[in-house]
Parts: sequence; C-alpha cells; structure tokens
Amino acid sequence: MILCVDPDEEARAATARALADAGFEVREAGSVAAAGDAIEGGPDCVVTEYDLPDGSGLDVLGRARDAVPDAACVLFTDTPIDRVDTAAVGDLVAEYLSKGDPEAREQLVALVDHSLAFRNQTAYPLPEDEDARIAALDRYVGDPEALDDSLDRLTELATALFDVDAAAVGLVDAHEERFLSCVGVAFGSVDREDTVCTYAILDEQVTVVEDTLEDPRFEDNERLRAAGLRFYASAPLRTPEGRAIGTFCVFDSQPGGFDARQRELLELLADEAMEQLELRRRLRAAEGDGTDD
Amino acid sequence: MTDGYSFPDLPLGEIRAGTSLLVTGPTHEGSRDLAVRLLAGAPGEAAIVVTTNQRAVRMADDCRRMGLATSPEQTAILDCVGTDEEGIEARVYPVSGPSDLTGIGMRYSDVHAAFVEDGYERVRTGLFSLSTLLSFSDLRTVSRFVHTLVGRIDSVDGLGVLLIDPGSHDERTVRTLAQFCSGRVQVREGETGPELRARGIPGQSREWQPFEPAP
Repeated sequence: MILCVDPDEEARAATARALADAGFEVREAGSVAAAGDAIEGGPDCVVTEYDLPDGSGLDVLGRARDAVPDAACVLFTDTPIDRVDTAAVGDLVAEYLSKGDPEAREQLVALVDHSLAFRNQTAYPLPEDEDARIAALDRYVGDPEALDDSLDRLTELATALFDVDAAAVGLVDAHEERFLSCVGVAFGSVDREDTVCTYAILDEQVTVVEDTLEDPRFEDNERLRAAGLRFYASAPLRTPEGRAIGTFCVFDSQPGGFDARQRELLELLADEAMEQLELRRRLRAAEGDGTDD
Repeated sequence: MTDGYSFPDLPLGEIRAGTSLLVTGPTHEGSRDLAVRLLAGAPGEAAIVVTTNQRAVRMADDCRRMGLATSPEQTAILDCVGTDEEGIEARVYPVSGPSDLTGIGMRYSDVHAAFVEDGYERVRTGLFSLSTLLSFSDLRTVSRFVHTLVGRIDSVDGLGVLLIDPGSHDERTVRTLAQFCSGRVQVREGETGPELRARGIPGQSREWQPFEPAP
C-alpha cells in the first residue's frame, strides 16, 4: 500500500490516480494527523507534500520511518529544496522530487517503482537472491503453530548442548524476522533491521558474533541490550534449492567463542529444523491446500 | 542501456552504467586522489561531488588537479562544511552538515534532476568521504543513506564513487557498506608507487596494478 499525503485535494487525487494506474493500492490523507492512521496499516511507501496544515511532510516521514523502517519515503513537493529544513531530521533519509515538473507524476511512478523493486531504503544489505529467497520462504510459512513442539525440542536441546542462555529458530521475511521457536528469550516478530540474523543470512556458513556490544552493527541494538544478550551464533536454514530463509540461532549473556565442532553441531540443528519445515511443507502440499507440488 | 563509464589513463576497464564503487585505502596513500580521478571521464558528462570535510574551494581544486574539468554547467558540489566562497568553478549547494544525511540525499536528487533537465544523461557522483559521515551518524543510518544513494545512482544509469578510509573503522563496518556497492577498488602504496585492485566488478583484472599518481 502506498500512502499519499497532500492537503491540496486536486493535486492529491492526481498523484493517487497516477500511482493507482501503475497498479499500486493507494491510501490518501490531507494532514499529519490523518496520515497517522494509514501509517498504522504499514505502508510500503509514503509520498508526501512538505507543507501540511498541522506540520510538515518530514513529520509524516519520520513517523513512517519509526513504524515501518523499510518503507520507501518520498517528499513530493512544490516547496523548493532550499526551503526544506532537514537539519533536525538528518537520520531520516528520504527521496526528494519536485512536483512542479510537467512530467513529475511519471517521474514519481518510476521512482516508487524502482524503490519498491530494489527496496533500497533499507538500513541493511539484502542477499543477492533476495526475491527468490522470499518466494521460497512463502512456501514454508503455512502453519507455523503446528511446528512449535518439534522446533521447541530442538531449541531446548541447543541451549543444553552449547550451555547458552537462549536459542531460537526464526524466518527472515521481507521486513521482519518471525521467530517460530524461542527458549530462554521471548521474541515474536522483530523488524529486520533490528535482528542479527538479517546479517547472518548474508554469510554462507555459521555466523559468530562474539560480543554484540563490540560489533558496530549491533552495539546500539536496544532489543539485545534489553534481553541482556551479547554472544550470538547461528546457522542458516537452507531450502533444498539453497535459499537461506532463516536461522537457527543461540545467544548468551556472556561474550564468548564457538569452536569448529560447535559450528558443525549448530549446522546439524539447523538442518534438522529445516527438515521439519520441509516435511510440513510437503504434508500441506499433499493435503492439497494450494501451496505447491 | 547506457554505455559504460571509462577511466582514461587508469588500469581499469569500462564499468557498467549504474555501478557504485567503494574506494578503500589510506588517504595518504592516494585513495582520495584516485577516487576523485574516477570522476573524470568523457566530455559531456556531469559530476556531483559531496564534500563532507573539505571546503568546496579545495574540493574544486582537487577535482581539477585530478583531471576533472569543473564548470558551473557540469559540476555540482554539495558542501557539508559550510563555506561561503565566491569564484568556485562549480555550482555549490549548502547542506546543513555531515550529520544531515536526509539533506544530502534530497539535495542530491534535486541536483541530479537539474542536470537531466539541462540535457546531461551521464552523471558521475563522488562522496568524500563515508568516514566523515560515520563519525557523525551511526552505522545503521549511514547504511540506509548509502543504500538509497546507490539505488538512485543505479536507477539513473550513473556511476558512484564512495570513499572510505578502512583504517579508521571496524572491518565489519567497511564490509557492511561494501555490501551495498556493486564493486570495490582498493588502493595501496606499492614498491614503485600507488597501486589499485578491483574487486567484484565483472571484466576487471583482480591483480594489483600500478598507476600514475596524477593524470
């Protein structure tokens, strides 16, 4: 869904029409307050004017960035760039496109198209096979509840095997990681930019972060800090085609290392968890619930 | 598809339009000079240079010294340092400071659109340097900024050159930022002078190659 914010009804309708004609679902708002509700709906992209009756477009984009960190944010405005005051929102990061050009709406559609296709406002790198990976992942998310028991047994075993505080199995979806099983820690869904697994799936092998507080990627990670977790290791969950759809991960409150044998064992656990996911997928397919094969 | 970007007098083959390169190496060993030099190409191209820690006048001097003919028609400098100088042979645009990544990105989009309106289809973009940005913002914010900028450069078939001094940062920081770029050019001081090596760019030699320090 694309949220289009503009106090000028005529201009807003023209922008919304251009986006809808390009195949996007569009919601409209005329103020910061009205945009708030739509932001709750989790837009993929927010296109906003700068001057709004109750604030500025940067307020809208700031709220969107907080609620949906991966959203593509675009200031689409009649206000010249010299008058756009970004000094207080330097960490927002958004596109700017002048609405004055006769072809402005065509340019906007192209910009939105590209931003969504390549997802280039994320704060983390994407795996090279991201699209194929997400497509593969969709085949495994049918009925995660049914998996809880078998995955819970594996995560429980992992904490004992490695003598760590916590273990989890998570699927790294387009915008968030969904944890299917957690022992020793309670994660539900976590924004992708807030999880270590987001970076771990970029690695071919087992990923080890000896101390997340000493790693520039995670030193400001409030979730890890709140949970008191510093050591992290994970092995990717790979589909039979080799797509890394998630991880089997372990955590500990103390920084530490992970030797070659431990890495092997963690890979075995990841393979076993993946096997469970694969079996459930085949079962669902055999029952003909419309997935595949 | 636009033709690739070429690099006269450098041991680098043509690079596909839409590519962004991370240039790494100690500044005193010529990485900054090389990165600036990568902006000098065929006549008729425009350049957008973001300077985070050098005054615009010095940036323009460096560009000319490295073979990039600057002019107000085809060169823009986005100045995060806040100088107010006259007589610079380029369009100079102020940004409130190196922590204002939103401002740099938006100004960049606007300046690029102006070049396209003026008929410049080929634009090289230089960012000098990521190291400064990292000293003002956290890695996550700089990552988002780089991802967005690199995506923009790709969408307009441009060429991006982003400089970082790896000695000033954790290796994981450099690796993360490199993952947003299509390729990497490493620079070092060899026995007989500066050398460069390309990484992750199709069709380029993977060996260290000497180059003349100035054009």
